[in-house]
Amino acid sequence: MSATAFMPTVTTGTVERQAVRAGRKPGRRTDEIIAASKLSEGIYELVIRDPYVARTAQPAQFVNLYPADATMALPRPFGVAKVEGDDVTLIYQVVGAGTAEFSLLQAGDVIDVLGPLGKPFDTTKPANYVLVGGGLGVPPLLYAAQKLSERNDGSEVTSVFGYRDVRFADDLVAPYADHAHSIVNAQGNVVDLLNDIEGELNNASQPPVILSCGPTPMMKAVAAWASKRGIPAQLSLEARMGCGYGACVACVVDTPNGRLKVCKDGPVFTTEELGWEV
Amino acid sequence: MTDTTNERAAAMNEHVERDEQAKPMNVLEPHEWRHKTIVAGREWKNPVGTASGTFQLDACGDYYDVSQMGAICTKGVSPIPWEGNPSPRTAEGPSSMVNAVGLQNPGVDHYLEDELPRLKKLGAMVITNVAGHSDEDYAEVVAKLADSEADMLEINVSCPNVSHGGMSVGTDPMVLSRLITHLRKLTSKPMIVKLSPNVTDIVQIAHAAVDAGADALSLINTLVGMRIDINTGQPIIANRTGGVSGPAIFPIALSFVWRVRQAIPDIPIIGIGGIDSGEKALEYLYAGANAVEVGAAALFDPTAPMRVARELDDLLDSRPELAAKLAKGQTW
Repeated sequence: MSATAFMPTVTTGTVERQAVRAGRKPGRRTDEIIAASKLSEGIYELVIRDPYVARTAQPAQFVNLYPADATMALPRPFGVAKVEGDDVTLIYQVVGAGTAEFSLLQAGDVIDVLGPLGKPFDTTKPANYVLVGGGLGVPPLLYAAQKLSERNDGSEVTSVFGYRDVRFADDLVAPYADHAHSIVNAQGNVVDLLNDIEGELNNASQPPVILSCGPTPMMKAVAAWASKRGIPAQLSLEARMGCGYGACVACVVDTPNGRLKVCKDGPVFTTEELGWEV
Repeated sequence: MTDTTNERAAAMNEHVERDEQAKPMNVLEPHEWRHKTIVAGREWKNPVGTASGTFQLDACGDYYDVSQMGAICTKGVSPIPWEGNPSPRTAEGPSSMVNAVGLQNPGVDHYLEDELPRLKKLGAMVITNVAGHSDEDYAEVVAKLADSEADMLEINVSCPNVSHGGMSVGTDPMVLSRLITHLRKLTSKPMIVKLSPNVTDIVQIAHAAVDAGADALSLINTLVGMRIDINTGQPIIANRTGGVSGPAIFPIALSFVWRVRQAIPDIPIIGIGGIDSGEKALEYLYAGANAVEVGAAALFDPTAPMRVARELDDLLDSRPELAAKLAKGQTW
């Protein structure tokens, strides 16, 4: 544990056992870092060992990471990108001092964690799940692809990823996707890509269900595209969060049913829940 | 077994025992509280509560048993549902956060049907935080809570993030006195007045609240603050300014408690501001607080309030005079 940590935290196994015994969710805990690498300029991958997250996380759920520099008190939330055994992969972009600190972490270091948090995608029905991601909204969809690919109910996975420039996740989704498409900003956006593959979606054996994560303007455009065609869409929102677990009520989104908490009522909402239909 | 394996086993056992000792306390296990406190006639099983605005039963109740806290202070409850401020509502500061939630809540009728009965069923000691935009708003909430199961009321005259009511009441001794005098007639429940640090003389405000009939004071609410995005030149928070909480405000809040205690020896005080450990809670008790509340720390670790309570229980073992004073509800 870092000497500057603002509160004493304990290792993941201990916290989980204590919580399970008390019938509670495990609180903040300290995880070991298994691997850390750079995927492209400014984009990093972190693998943490957290058996609880690995066992329980569902696609679109996220974990809070806490900087070791305790003057940065607020958690940084990241969607789970992959689970392998007890290890959980997170992919993030360096956007400020907190993520800059994370980018210096190495295997063998430790980091404080809370989660998994938030409401996952609803993937109960067999469908052609069309994963529409933009930028750093792509990583949570990688986990959706991983989980969906493990099913034997006829569900298919179609990825539609939009990148600023480097296609950092195409190789990562390839093992799980039945149909993989991507586009970079210079070529167009994900809605252009959806238009291009509309025929493919119509010819698929399963009806399409869109699962989307990315910048809000992108997801509004995706929701509009989907609602015009009667395609159900679930949008996983990004927000400036406080606590990340529903206590502070800082990360709200305006909906026809009032202001809802992105971290706890979401991050996943349907087009209709957000009032984003055309 | 050979001697060697015996020795090895003994060494391993010793190792395990050392590990057990080194293990941090399990804050979730059942605990016999040894050091209670009394605030305005109400007995808390320990001197640590949750601070208003940082507790939601549906979120926090997943992580610990709410009945084990000294008290649960709810989010502000208003006469009708309030939608709060637009997003973004929060920003980070050095060892702190700035928030401008604006008291979003589903209103007192919903509170009386939903959160309060659930908290009481779980066995919590409940402080209901009362919010309003006007004297009439506060009066309506207090009147509706007068016959409720709420154990104590906390009048929020110090929220910096609402346009009317809140801090505008708690920074003017005349306005505050008029409000508390009015509310006093509406309830026999212990009434705590939560004070704002955004004043020139906290003692004057504290006197006004006590003279008008407050049974206890809680302090401090957040300090007004803001952050600016240097890429846009605009404030990060939609409300522009917000309230600062977290470890950064600890020494400031502590001095407010100390000053009010020096000026008013016989009013129960709940100390709030930057508490994230039993040690910091203890500083508040030495400054003159009868109890404390944990706020922002709970947003950085859901189990922080329980941990602070357990750490304080241990620290009070070796401070029998202070513990005895708290147990008797003695103020100073």
